[in-house]
Amino acid sequence: MGAELARTPGIEVKSRGMYMDEEKKKIKKAARKWEKEVLLPRVKRFNLKETPTRFYTPLEVADPNFLEKVGFPGQYPFTAGNNPFDFWRAYAVDAAKMGYRPDWGGAGQVGKYGGFGTPADYRDYLKRMHSMGRRGGPNIAFDLVTQCGYDSDSTYAEGEVGRVGVAVDSFRDFQIIYEAYTGDLDIDKVPSNYTINAPAAVIIAMYATLAKKRSIPLNKLRGTPQNDILKEFIARGTHIYPPRPSMRLFRDTCVFCTRYMPALNINSIGGYHIREAGATRIQDLAFSLANGIAYIQAGLEGGLSIDEFAPKFTFNAFGGSMEIYNEIALQRAARRMWARLLKERFGAKDERSMMIRQPITAHIGCSSTTLQRPLNNLARAVVGGIAAGMSGGIPGAFPPFDEPLGLGHSLEAVQLQFDATRIMIYEAKVTDVNDPWAGSYFMESLTDATEEEALKEMDKIEKMGGAVAAIENGYMPKAVARSAYERQKKIENQEEFVVGVNCYTGTNEIEVSINRVLEDTYDPELMRTAEERQKGNLEQLKRERDSKAVLASLKSLNAQAKVEETNLMPAICECVESDATLQEICDVLREVFGEAQPVKL
Amino acid sequence: MSQDKKIRILIAKPGLDGHERGARVVAYGLRDEGFEVIYTGLRQSPEKIVSAAIQEDVDVVGLSILSGAHLSLIRKVMDGLKSHDANDIVVLVGGIIPEGDLPALKALGVAEIFTAGTKIKDIASFIRSRLHGG
Repeated sequence: MGAELARTPGIEVKSRGMYMDEEKKKIKKAARKWEKEVLLPRVKRFNLKETPTRFYTPLEVADPNFLEKVGFPGQYPFTAGNNPFDFWRAYAVDAAKMGYRPDWGGAGQVGKYGGFGTPADYRDYLKRMHSMGRRGGPNIAFDLVTQCGYDSDSTYAEGEVGRVGVAVDSFRDFQIIYEAYTGDLDIDKVPSNYTINAPAAVIIAMYATLAKKRSIPLNKLRGTPQNDILKEFIARGTHIYPPRPSMRLFRDTCVFCTRYMPALNINSIGGYHIREAGATRIQDLAFSLANGIAYIQAGLEGGLSIDEFAPKFTFNAFGGSMEIYNEIALQRAARRMWARLLKERFGAKDERSMMIRQPITAHIGCSSTTLQRPLNNLARAVVGGIAAGMSGGIPGAFPPFDEPLGLGHSLEAVQLQFDATRIMIYEAKVTDVNDPWAGSYFMESLTDATEEEALKEMDKIEKMGGAVAAIENGYMPKAVARSAYERQKKIENQEEFVVGVNCYTGTNEIEVSINRVLEDTYDPELMRTAEERQKGNLEQLKRERDSKAVLASLKSLNAQAKVEETNLMPAICECVESDATLQEICDVLREVFGEAQPVKL
Repeated sequence: MSQDKKIRILIAKPGLDGHERGARVVAYGLRDEGFEVIYTGLRQSPEKIVSAAIQEDVDVVGLSILSGAHLSLIRKVMDGLKSHDANDIVVLVGGIIPEGDLPALKALGVAEIFTAGTKIKDIASFIRSRLHGG
């Protein structure tokens, strides 16, 4: 190994071979001397039990094998990043000169996440945005009713229709939204993103059916359905069926997308939701990758070979925190772990199968923001941005500082968010170096430790029978709840400090207040009346459609659902095309699969 | 506390909202404070919550909502408790509740609203003083 390293130009080799042992011995001796003569006297002088800081030496890096553990950006094991530079970095100078704003994306790119009211309400809103030059593809938030597989006229729907997203009860609704996407914004030209999980198969079927109606070949369709049902059981909570039949639906979408919609991403695996629900960093990493393994296994069980579908897996994001070093280590460890897993365990040959493709890397997570002295959240978000810039991502100062003040962000908060990111890129030059921490004794040892702990947790899950079993027996959801509570206790006991919340709250501090002008993103009058109007739309659909065709398609779905091996996507497509409603489709599957039961503590 | 009959609390998640962190943390915390706590898990209809509260003979119901659907869901729970002559049950609310909605919730009979940053100890002492007069 040492000889190989020596031939690589531009790499500073810290230690190798015989030289390493000699050198390490010397360092060990010096370290002991330093502890005794410098460190301990100082600890004693301040009456401490132990030192409050740490210093790392080559001794802390167990195996400093550069090529195997770090490697080059864009090469296995991707510790140093998926690419030497991302596409945004290639155009950073142009972007600054032309004043590019990233909030809506241009044509051909992912648009801003959103959705409200009835499909017509959202369509009209999108058309207005397009006329303002905000021309990214649909990036749809669905209301909770749709996400949980109900229609707007369900008793579960009361008060929820069109509230946290747009209501979609049927293919007709889906088509209405897409009336905003025609011509040069047609679905073969812009990607579609769907934050949908339990009914992902139905929404993917709607997308495919829309393409059919518009005579657009399925292989032209791009975009990303979230389609990550496992984390719903652990954290986000919009599941419908028990875990196993849910995984059958995942298998069916995975196979269908691979065969017919190969340009579409299959899923967007999220650790973010798991961490925000209270998981520790290690749980976030381990549970996300364990879920990833379960999805891979589902694809393989569906008869696909690994390199056919793994390149179309994406990751939404891991969670984040204020602990900047640890978050950088998490990103490095995650990339290496996934790459090794895919190559060594699943035999992937295609390097694209081995990469964690995610839109952002490190960040602080919304749960790090505080309601108290909210401008402090800008300082917090910058810390997350630096962590991102130092771990292969765009240094996004996410989220805007007014995140905890309620739904929506003020224009001022969004402006400061963008500017903070720009300052990190252009003035601080944070992203001019790939993996700037590579070779740091501290960071390499922290990355190793993160990997090791997460692997231990993954082993535990593996022994239970994998992610699905660890959800069925309640292990993962309960572990997350427990961690959330432990953190709460630490804050209440001042074992952890949150500025302005559990410390520095005395009378000497000023309650910095802000003027926050929040424009309504969506028309409040439309929001208020959406439920009644959407119920009317649904009633009209049920009156007008060919109910015989609906019943026939649902009956066929019922029969096919009972046969485990059958891929349900063609049957779901038929249901969609016959104007069966989302709930009618989900109800058929509820009848065959049963419903998930709430996790008690 | 220990010589009294243990105070029984139902923590419930009404509606479709999946944000469970607060509800779980409060459930664990109140349990550690010595209360008997029952947690319903996600996606409970107001009717289910009312019947669970009555069947379990609880003294307190804590409702956690972060989806914005709090007004209609809480109204239904309050009506349900009333129609079962169970309005002696103390109802608490947690989650993301805009300040403008607080008077409306109090008018419905909600005893107190605890939003982000609340200490569990404060919830516990509120419950004790409410039920035992301190």
